Amino acid sequence: MSAVLPPPGPSGRDASEQYERGREMLGVDAGLDSVDLVQLDEQTMELNMGPQHPSTHGVLRLVLDLDGEVVKACHPDIGFLHTGFEKDFERHNYWQCIPYTDRMDYLAPLTNNLGFSLAVEKLLGVEVPPRGQYLRVIMCELTRIASHLIWYGTTALDLGATTPFVYAWREREKLLDINELVSGVRMHTSFIRVGGLLADVPDEFYGMVEEVVRTFPHFIDEYETLITGNPIFRERTRGLGAISAADAINYGVTGPSLRGCGVPYDLRKAQPYSSYDHFDFDIPIGERGDIYDRYLVRMREMRESLRIIDQAMAGLPSGPVNTADRQVALPPRNEINTSMESLIRHFKLVTEGFRVPKGMTYTAVESPRGELGFLVVSDGTNRPYRVKVRAPSFSNLSALPFMAKGELLPDLVAVIGSIDIVLGDVDR
Amino acid sequence: MASAGEVASPRPATGARALGLLRRELADAVLGSDEALGEVTIRVVRERLVEVVELLRDHEDARYELPLCVTAVDWPDREPDAPRFDVVYQLRSLQHNDVVRLLVQVSDDDPVVPTLEGVFAGMDWHEREAFDLLGIRFDGHHDLRRILLPEDWDGHPLRKDYVSFGEPIAFTHNLDWALPAQERPRDLPGESR
Repeated sequence: MSAVLPPPGPSGRDASEQYERGREMLGVDAGLDSVDLVQLDEQTMELNMGPQHPSTHGVLRLVLDLDGEVVKACHPDIGFLHTGFEKDFERHNYWQCIPYTDRMDYLAPLTNNLGFSLAVEKLLGVEVPPRGQYLRVIMCELTRIASHLIWYGTTALDLGATTPFVYAWREREKLLDINELVSGVRMHTSFIRVGGLLADVPDEFYGMVEEVVRTFPHFIDEYETLITGNPIFRERTRGLGAISAADAINYGVTGPSLRGCGVPYDLRKAQPYSSYDHFDFDIPIGERGDIYDRYLVRMREMRESLRIIDQAMAGLPSGPVNTADRQVALPPRNEINTSMESLIRHFKLVTEGFRVPKGMTYTAVESPRGELGFLVVSDGTNRPYRVKVRAPSFSNLSALPFMAKGELLPDLVAVIGSIDIVLGDVDR
Repeated sequence: MASAGEVASPRPATGARALGLLRRELADAVLGSDEALGEVTIRVVRERLVEVVELLRDHEDARYELPLCVTAVDWPDREPDAPRFDVVYQLRSLQHNDVVRLLVQVSDDDPVVPTLEGVFAGMDWHEREAFDLLGIRFDGHHDLRRILLPEDWDGHPLRKDYVSFGEPIAFTHNLDWALPAQERPRDLPGESR
């Protein structure tokens, strides 16, 4: 027994002698003893958390003022992933901007594609055919599920549950397989383009999506069995990180974090875009605005997304996926072989892109994290004059100090997980 | 099938509600307005901004309670005829399901607008971002530091006169232009230069 324990320490007197000797050896000046420990209360400790910390979901740095284990104040430090996408947009034509949108919220790239495409289509006055709109909806809802799966796995992992993470990634693979099938890429698909889609979907798509719709309810049941009724998880999340609806709105919080406070606001319902008004689905809301409610909202949203996909697949119209406006969309490949005009148009579009009329628009979509808005200003050329991305994670994260105040340090990890930030989205 | 496009929707223009209210209650704070693409842009007197936003937040007919973002658009060629920066605010009303865009123009030598931090807690970070990337100063902000870029960064990258690229790539045909004289290789083969 005694072998396991550390050897008995020196007495107080010995320790201070050792200390002095150590200082002499290091050549440390005695005056350093009087260094002021910043201007903090005697009780407060300043602790740095991140940016390399597994539970900050990326490169988020928090400077915490701790009183024991209680978080007295929390100062987020962001920008470690700032890449200047908004400046990049100004240097590229509208087509070339699409891949940049993928890389902002890298867990929901298709929703970002859609937001940017809708904004530019609005400036152009272009409408996408019904089949294109339905396929956009299907792909965005699949993305929403994939994004929520990552959130589910990592949040549970933060709280010490390892199994859900493995389960969530097992199913996410199936969704990434669909991405790969339609676009050739698993994550940064750039599948949704201005004027429509990259291409129509191949025949295998239908079977794969139907399998997702058929099997996923069972998988979500599994997740719920693992976590929802789990007394440990409930103890760790009930009543913690709570924010009232009024405060959430005041901070600009949107998405599941806002709906967890009981505000049934979802842009897919409130201001339907891309045919969302054709589908019957519910907006899950919570009551208390705590971590557990935000958890429940997201779990139910996955089921609602499956409902939307099911209806969209059942009612999927035939026809083209791209707009017929040749000023924007590429001509079909077989036409290029026979028509000189199409060949010229193809060449012009690929080399120059299209010109967008002067104007300014703010167009928003409901990303898995909340309201993703694109403020696009055009000066009439083939490049955007200015693009401002209203990123949901940015506003949601700004409410973190409010939510975390007074919580325990280990619970702070749960709060960060529950607002589901993506640092690519925060920093852009 | 109902037309599903954004453009074709029969809703009134977004922000028309706010414009109507401002014309009734604070007509002298509104400089003008445009409507395009179904979106109303309201130009507001800078000194009255806080008053306008508080009215839009608190009035029964408006309730623009959710701050979406603040940013600016730089038009350097517009000076000196018109101010250089358009500071753009987007606010959302959940109750009336509407968005409003407010626009305040400020000039290059005085790029200052009053802070809305006291009206919306959520404006704090957005204002810091606009300061960081565009150099708009928010008068009264409690902590106007850079937020995305490092503290010692020089300049404001989203201004149009900020050159973020243009580091020349040296090819054999443009070495004179791309490299300073002392860095040019002295023994290039053949007649290439």
